[in-house]
Amino acid sequence: MLRPDPILLEIVSHALVSVAEEMSITVWRTSRSTTVRELLDYSTAVFDAEGRNIAQAARMPVHLNSMELCLQEILARHLPLESWREGDVVVTNDPYSGGQHLPDFIAFKPVFADGRRVAITCVLIHHVDVGGGAAGGYNARAVEIFQEGVRLPPVRIVREGVLQDDLLATILHNVREPAMFRGDFLSQLAALEVGARSLRTLAARYGVSTLLTIGDALLDHAETAMRSAIGALPDGVYAAEDFVDGDGLEEGRKRIAVTLTIAGDQLAVDFTGTSAQAAGPINATLATTRSAVYYAAIAASNLAAAANSGCYRPINITAPEGSLVNAAFPAPVSMRMLTGHRVATAVLRAFAQAAPDRVPASYYGVTFNHAVNIRHGDGRRQVYFDSEIGGWGAHPEADGPSGFSAGFHNQQNTPIEMIEAIYPLSFTRYGFLVDSGGAGRRRGGLGLVREWRFTAERGLLNASFDGFVSRPYGLAGGERGRAGRLSVTRDGHVTELPAKTIGHELRAGDVVRMETPGGGGFGPPSERSAAAIADDLADGLITASGHGAKVAAQK
Amino acid sequence: MKPRRHIRVAVDIGGTFTDLEFVDEDTGEAHSFKTPTTPDDPSIGLVNTITGAAARHGFALADITLLIHGTTIATNAVLTRNLPRCALITTAGFEDVLEIGRHARRDVYGLRPEERTVLTARRHRYGVAERIGARGEVLAPLDMAALDGVVDRVAEAGADVVAVSLLNGFVNPAHEIAIRERLRERLPQLPCTCSHEVSPEIREFERTSTTVLNALLMPVVQGYVAGLMRRTREAGLAAPIYLVQSNGGAATPVQAGQTPVNLLLSGPSGGVLAAEKVAAVTARRHVVAVDMGGTSYDIAIIRDGRRSVVAQGDVDGLPVRVPMVEMRTIGAGGGSIIWLDPAGRLQLGPQSAGARPGPVCYRRGGVEPTVTDVNLILGRLDAASFLGGELALDLDGARASLQRRIAEPLGLTIDAAASGVLSIVVARLAGAIKLSLFERGLDPRDFALMSFGGAGGLHAVDVAEELGMREVVFPREPSTFSAHGILQSDIVHDLARTRIVALGPANLPQIVAVADELRDEGSALLDADGLPPERRALRLAADLRYRGQAFELMVPIGEGELDEVALADLIERFHQTHLERFSFDDRQEVVELVTLRLSAVGRLAVAAPISGTGGGSRSAPHPKASRAIYLEKRWRDAPVFEQSSLAVGAIIKGPAIVEQPYTTLIINGGWSLTVLASGDLVAAKDDA
Repeated sequence: MLRPDPILLEIVSHALVSVAEEMSITVWRTSRSTTVRELLDYSTAVFDAEGRNIAQAARMPVHLNSMELCLQEILARHLPLESWREGDVVVTNDPYSGGQHLPDFIAFKPVFADGRRVAITCVLIHHVDVGGGAAGGYNARAVEIFQEGVRLPPVRIVREGVLQDDLLATILHNVREPAMFRGDFLSQLAALEVGARSLRTLAARYGVSTLLTIGDALLDHAETAMRSAIGALPDGVYAAEDFVDGDGLEEGRKRIAVTLTIAGDQLAVDFTGTSAQAAGPINATLATTRSAVYYAAIAASNLAAAANSGCYRPINITAPEGSLVNAAFPAPVSMRMLTGHRVATAVLRAFAQAAPDRVPASYYGVTFNHAVNIRHGDGRRQVYFDSEIGGWGAHPEADGPSGFSAGFHNQQNTPIEMIEAIYPLSFTRYGFLVDSGGAGRRRGGLGLVREWRFTAERGLLNASFDGFVSRPYGLAGGERGRAGRLSVTRDGHVTELPAKTIGHELRAGDVVRMETPGGGGFGPPSERSAAAIADDLADGLITASGHGAKVAAQK
Repeated sequence: MKPRRHIRVAVDIGGTFTDLEFVDEDTGEAHSFKTPTTPDDPSIGLVNTITGAAARHGFALADITLLIHGTTIATNAVLTRNLPRCALITTAGFEDVLEIGRHARRDVYGLRPEERTVLTARRHRYGVAERIGARGEVLAPLDMAALDGVVDRVAEAGADVVAVSLLNGFVNPAHEIAIRERLRERLPQLPCTCSHEVSPEIREFERTSTTVLNALLMPVVQGYVAGLMRRTREAGLAAPIYLVQSNGGAATPVQAGQTPVNLLLSGPSGGVLAAEKVAAVTARRHVVAVDMGGTSYDIAIIRDGRRSVVAQGDVDGLPVRVPMVEMRTIGAGGGSIIWLDPAGRLQLGPQSAGARPGPVCYRRGGVEPTVTDVNLILGRLDAASFLGGELALDLDGARASLQRRIAEPLGLTIDAAASGVLSIVVARLAGAIKLSLFERGLDPRDFALMSFGGAGGLHAVDVAEELGMREVVFPREPSTFSAHGILQSDIVHDLARTRIVALGPANLPQIVAVADELRDEGSALLDADGLPPERRALRLAADLRYRGQAFELMVPIGEGELDEVALADLIERFHQTHLERFSFDDRQEVVELVTLRLSAVGRLAVAAPISGTGGGSRSAPHPKASRAIYLEKRWRDAPVFEQSSLAVGAIIKGPAIVEQPYTTLIINGGWSLTVLASGDLVAAKDDA
């Protein structure tokens, strides 16, 4: 096959990443919900004409590394490529068509130049609400996907440039925040077209045949880079495990067991031994599991190239069907990220044996997604959705940063003033959780406390949390980070809530407090320097009676 | 005795040189001058360059009517962390907001902790019980007893400055003011700054970060300004002094000392001001101004003759929420290194060889090929005449390095490898410009490119060609370009009030009231500057968005009365702007006002038009030499001209090479270069 020369390859590959970035800027600047515009819960990417991911904007690996699987599912089982027309937009949120959970709507648009399909653009957005049993989509009591919201199979929501109003109206009729959904969805469509426009310009500038042939070169390059990164790691079999607290319905923790086999430039990742799929909504589909493995493998292997799906080629994943990491229809999946994080931390823990100088102790290992279904005194309704993260794991050479996002879902926080300007919440605290970082020669990062008073008449609180039992692991003798917690205070009385909470009734004046886990420590706490301890005490990150006392006792 | 002259002086202090340009306000005659920068106290170099210029050009320091000054003092203090100790007083329970920031990673696949810049350690962040609500209501009164305890601790900690930033303090500053008053009573010597004064806008982290930076810079800038005033007065200069701010406007030393955070982009904004002026002189309305040096490429946009200003920028990864000249910087310059990644793909930068070791051809120990080396290999730079012949370049060394590290592994000839690298450079620069314009919904073909900086002229025509731009403007004197811009700056006070309300007739009285407040405040500031009414302008603009969006578009409000008609017009222009920038509008949705902004502009003494001083004969241009250059995939001979020999009106057909004292311009075939009356050069694409 004809290939672009090395110069053209470099020029066009950069231009393709710029296209993905332009799409990302468009979503960022035009979206409506705080989820998208402040948390940045969305991703954009470019695919070649065959549907292979060739460029990504630097957003969320959990999204980016699942998009190709979704597109391939759509092409193989629903809408073959030959049927895609110029001006079409195909969208789905179905976890059983290659998606992850219902709030994530994944939209694709084919790009044509000179009458030929030359590329496909993709925008994934997490929408604020998708109907179903719980505002925000996290129905802790769901035992089948039907209880989690409106489910859209892969469909053409735009046909040859014409938005299918009846279909959009049907979706909007089934969600709690239709105006917000519509605004975010329009932003999604605009970004797809912005990308398409730039790709048509690229086709005109560098030729249709360049775009048609560049995919192979880009994917081969990423594959070579990934193989060389894996090849630099010592061959061996590395086993590890990590745990999800549970699904909120059945007793007991859920185990994620992983066996990494590094042989030359090949990596095998086997989840045999992992718990069976859960009754409750913590299940992960293959899309989630794969994206977690790819994230961990790319990060741990120190890949020196832009990520695209060529990186996946040397990685062989075995995920038993019907297990927690490859759930079968119609298992509920809304809280799939709780399992997704622990897939990433389990794989990283195995990698730590192969690359002990590079891999840190466990990060917080959970996304603290929460939502309130708000009912104002005048009957007006609102859905507040938000998310929080915790402390990063200690690195062999540095303490873990406190309250710092994992790259896997790389999310921002929402400014308190922005929330208070829109929702009936009044924050009482946002800061580091003292003594929550895992002790060690290098201390784990501290988790966060986020606390607010509810000021509307009534509300229903939903939470998709974890890490209340299963704490972030330490490495090389470092201790675990502190567990997470959720409580509500009413009239001075504190009620502890479970990690998976649905419909907890809030009244005006109730104070909701969430504590996120701290990161694990690295190395024995007895080896921590006196100067580092003194600094931590002076900054109030540890207390003499808590964490500091423990370290002192071990000395 | 000679009659007194009226000299207006601009000084731009860079890392290596302190540049000066002055104009005689009576004759319009202008000259530039350079002396070495004195890093330990830049004001020494400033006085040196003024006295030097005065001696050379025969004026007295007493003849100076105005001194305007661009400085990197604030930026350098932040970059080198040469900062005092700051205490932060904030709402109790939110002491960590400054450190948590927005908590996202820059490198998503990174496992190492990323460096997080925290300018005030946790032990120096103090919470005080109080709470203002989102609508400005007092949810909890300020606890004065607790405040006194905090003030004690601030004193004990030995803080040099205090920043006060409370939640929703931008809506209702009462508690911030009360805290400041108490601090003044009890610790009158301690400089203090409040968030509502520095950056009265929503988003607590960005506002707090800006406020802390402001506090930290107060002693730095105040100390610098005091030294500057003393030195200039001792030297006999009695004229008013102004400092250039990040928004391109000038401020008095007192204001600069109060809001030093506004100086963080003082240096680069000089270049943008100059670009704005050259755009006016050369009658180009839409210009992309690019500055390419050894390590970076800075892009600014001038539209309808005015620089584009944004509400937020960043310095060293820290958000700074004050109006500043909009600038995109990418890590591509003459020193950018060309390398092959482990999988064999060609890469450009972002590492730069800088000045040390520098490109291979500098013979200073550089071994990796750079963009400058490639330009030398292709005959675009002349080994003998680089930097006016000060540095003889090593062509063989450059060739050997490119051959061994790039051409051989890729199986390319050295010419193909070098010209290939050049097309990557051009694509990268053009891509960055395209993205800058994209963010504003603009089309490169509507713009002229204006190129300056040491490496800009080598690539400008190629970049313009790549983007479909038909003109490239090369300023007459690129080496003192910033000083040239600063010379003509105006006083600008940027004021803002955040009021999130639907933009409609019902809220008109409230909006008008805020606008009036801003106008009064702006007028008072110009009063304090002593500016007569005929030299004033008050420009009102609104940050608007569709309800629920996070980002606003700044839409100017006309000078007239803000009535229902003007309001409808404003809404219509917002829809139009949104459509233009993002390819859709949403007329079903409510348009919200977020922030009203006022630029209070005071024009400094109006100067006579600045005329060119460049000599040169009026005869037909005569090349000084000819040399082989690789252009359009083949070697050919091109004439080499010296800029100083070109007369006004001269036209040079490409391909041609024009050498300026510190730069080289490459004019491709199919382009023609003309010398304008102003002395500036314009390359235009020939009509097909």
